[in-house]
Formats: sequence, C-alpha cells, structure tokens
Amino acid sequence: MSHVVSDLVANVMSIAVSVGDRVEVGDEVALLESMKMEIPVLAEEPGTVTEVKVEVGDVVQEGDILAILA
Amino acid sequence: MAHQPNAASATVSAATKPKVDREHDPRNPRLRLAAFFDEGTLELITPEDRSGMLAAVGTVDGTAVTAFASDATIMGGAMGIEGCKVVVQAYERALADGTPIVGLWHSGGARLPEGVASLHAVGEIFAIMTRASGKVPQISVVIGAAAGGAAYGPALTDIVILAPEGRIFVTGPDVVRSVTGEAVDALRLGGPEPHGRRSGVVHVLADSERDAMDRGRTLCSLLGAQGTMDVASVADTDLSQQFPESAKRAYDVHPVVAAVLDEGAESVELHPKWAPNIVTTLGRLGGRTVGVIANNPLRLGGCLDSPSAEKAARFVRMCDAFGVPLVVLVDVPGYLPGVGQEWDGVVRRGAKLLHAFAEAVVPRVTLVTRKTYGGAYIAMNSRSLGATRVFAWPDAHVAVMGSVAAIRILHRRRLAEVDDAERATVEDQLAAEHDRLSGGLPRAVEIGVVDEIVEPSATRSAIAKAIAEAPQRRGQHGNIPL
Repeated sequence: MSHVVSDLVANVMSIAVSVGDRVEVGDEVALLESMKMEIPVLAEEPGTVTEVKVEVGDVVQEGDILAILA
Repeated sequence: MAHQPNAASATVSAATKPKVDREHDPRNPRLRLAAFFDEGTLELITPEDRSGMLAAVGTVDGTAVTAFASDATIMGGAMGIEGCKVVVQAYERALADGTPIVGLWHSGGARLPEGVASLHAVGEIFAIMTRASGKVPQISVVIGAAAGGAAYGPALTDIVILAPEGRIFVTGPDVVRSVTGEAVDALRLGGPEPHGRRSGVVHVLADSERDAMDRGRTLCSLLGAQGTMDVASVADTDLSQQFPESAKRAYDVHPVVAAVLDEGAESVELHPKWAPNIVTTLGRLGGRTVGVIANNPLRLGGCLDSPSAEKAARFVRMCDAFGVPLVVLVDVPGYLPGVGQEWDGVVRRGAKLLHAFAEAVVPRVTLVTRKTYGGAYIAMNSRSLGATRVFAWPDAHVAVMGSVAAIRILHRRRLAEVDDAERATVEDQLAAEHDRLSGGLPRAVEIGVVDEIVEPSATRSAIAKAIAEAPQRRGQHGNIPL
C-alpha cells in the first residue's frame, strides 16, 4: 500500500483517478494549484486506487494524503 | 563511536555464515578493490594482514585512482590503529599523486579492544580527509554497515554512494533501543530510504554492490578526467520541446537537464530523492565535465526551500573546488513561504547558496527559461553574485514577483473597490501596465542583469561557448559537508 501525498499547501484543481483505477509510475493522480502554478502529482509507485481522500476545491496541507494505492 | 555488534548483522553476520575460503569470500577487500579498478590494474600499496583495511592504486577507465577497502572478514571490518594507518597512507598517496580517492566501506566502527587509541586513530582519518578536502575528489562507496566512526568517514567525503545492503548510522539499533527504548531496525535507521530521501547523507543510491562500484567509477571519471570543452561538437536542439504549452503548468526538469548535457555521455544525479525541487547532476557538455543545477517545478513548484538551498550550495562548492564549470537552469517562483520553512532555518540555509555562488570562481552560466522572481532570482547565480553569463529565453519573466501578485499589493485599495465580475479584467490591465513600467525582460537586459536573450534552439551552443571563453579557474577551498 502506498500513499500519494501533497508536497505543499495547495488547492486541488482536479483529480485524475477514481477508486479501482490502475496507475503506473509517473501517472497523474491529481492536479494542484500553488505558487500560482499548476502542479501535477504523479504516482511514485504502481498500484490500484483504493481511496481518494480529497475533492476538487479542497485546500490540502503539506503531507496530506490525496489518494491511497494498493 | 564504539564498535556496534549489531552493525555487522546489518548485512550477514560472519558467525552465522558457513566458513568460506578467504580467496572466494566476497568481503575480501582485495577482491573488492580488484572489482573496482580496471581489470588487471590493481596494485596493493599496503600489506594484506589483520589490520582491517587494505589500500591500492589502479586505474578507472584509464585514469589513476587511489582506493582503500574495509576488511569485513575481520571483526566486522572494525577500525583499529593499524587499519586507520592504512587509510591515512592511502590519503597521503592520493594527495601526492593528485588522484581521486575512493573508500569501499564495510565497518562497524572503532575496534573496542584497542580502546581510546582506536578512537584517536579514527580521528586521524577524519583529519586527513579534511586536509584533502577540495584538493582531490573523495568518493565513498558504502557496501555494508558503516557505523560510528565508519559513518563519519564517508560523511566527510564529497560523494557518498550506498549499496542496497549499506547501512549508515552513528549508533546501531541495539544502542538506540537500550538508550531511548525506541525499537527500530538497521534498514529504517540507516538504509537507502532514510538516507536517500530524508537525511541527505547519501548522494547516490545504487541497485547492487556492482552498480555502486560502477557509479563510483563514473564519478572518478567525471571528476578525475574532466576533459576540455569542444564547442564545435555541441549540437543545438530546440530545448523548448521539453516544456509544456502553458507557462503555469509544472513539468519535470530531468529531460531538460538531459537535453542540455551531451547525449549518451556519462552522468550522475546527486541527491535525486532528497530536496527533489532542485536537481544537481554531473555530466558532460562538449565532452567536458559540467555540473548542472536546475529548479524542478514538478516538486514544490520548483521553489527554493531550506534543504534544496543547502543541497545546491554543497554541489556548487564541490564543483568550484574541483574546477567543474556550472550550468544553472532557472525556473523558480520564489522561496517556499511558511512557518515550517522559517523554523527550519531557510534564512540560514538559504544564505549558504548565496555564499556558495558568490564565492565560486569556476565558469558559471545561468539560463532563465520561464521565470525567476525575488530572492530566488538572486540566489540562482544572478549577475549580482558574479555569474559568468546570464541568458534568458525570449518569453522569460525576470521580476521581483509575478506582475499580478505585484499589482495586488500596489493597487490593493483600488482593487477592493472593483466589482468581483470586473476584477480579472482590471487586474490584467494593471498587470500589463506594471510590466511596461517595471520593464520586465527588456529592462533586465538594459541594466545588464541579463546579458543576452537566446533562442531555445541556440542555447546549448551559447552555454558551451560562454563556458569555453571564461577563464578556467578553480576555487581554493575545502568542501565542508554543508
């Protein structure tokens, strides 16, 4: 099981995955907005999405879990 | 600093292993040294005895290199008076010959039975490592445990490579448990994950012992056989191909770094997982070794923060000490704001990067690809810090901050009176006006903080030419492990 986390304080602009989706290393999991930039969060490990912890419009903090892969 | 019995068990304990013939024991230091050097070039400079260390000279891709290796077959590679003398002897040889020096580490620390005398001897290794700092490249390959004194040996060198079985810690799991009650295993305490990602102790994580040796060899070649810049061989490619359409969109800078460097030539990224918002890579441009420093917008938007400033500062100082020219690829929105950063010493640690660039005498060329703002503008090898040349791409933004952010501060009252529906339009107008007045890139060129606007398709040759034309100097300082 691995966690996809946010590096920094940001707004969630979009979420690219749903529960049950298969992701590979480098796939976009979510798109964040911070420092006036659009920052994609990419999967660092392959897996299947078991939970998406955030919604579009949420403000996430550094270290917050965006999604869980198994 | 005492010998940790558990340190040896981090790999395979000699006691639980069937007795193997020393000539075929993979921990035999002569075999490890032979595996490191070019085939048939190993020449021992100290006797094979019970000292726990063995030193040799040989070549790496034809370049002379000095090396020493722990003898993990004896007391888990523990370091006593005689073993430490071997390392000091290796250093004296490397300093006399002016060669890179490589340590193959597999040691539980100081030899307990020799008491304080062994601590004194280990300290003498630290002293000569420090004397050699900045004079000859020092590379550590940690193959097994490197505990206590054997941890600080590698830590004092320029580059630390960790093999999968390598473990680095001051005190092993047993001591941690007995002193603090904390239950932790050697892997979590000092394995690839903590040192590669969290502590910054390790520069290169290897896939195997062989891979660790090969990375060490590549680094010997990059630092010990730097070559000369052949500007004519530098082909231009359109580097803008590596960038997304939208200027707001973050991207991974690694393909950009690869496109700047010679295709297919050897390169090693240092600290790839620690402070990944800045990339530090040794590679070749026009056949000559260069160090590339690049903001990585994919991580933290490419912001500078305390660890990334420290990582880059150490890299700049290492390159300067060994005469390696620097290529600085800038796309930085600023310093990462926040309480965490301030308390983490972003002011103190950020100052290291300012100091490192301002002090550096090697050719150092800056390229602003998309934007550079505020304090981070200064820190990323600006004209004011003494850059050899500063290039910018035609659409680059060079400013104190983004124009919309600037007008929100400058026109706060006026914007407060504007209807929400009109705000975006008014902001755009004010931002355009602000760009015109503050000057943007044309003004930066006019006052000389940007030397030249270059096209992405002419950038590689421009960087190579700027490096080749600059005086090839080398900093006269050590490389303290910042």
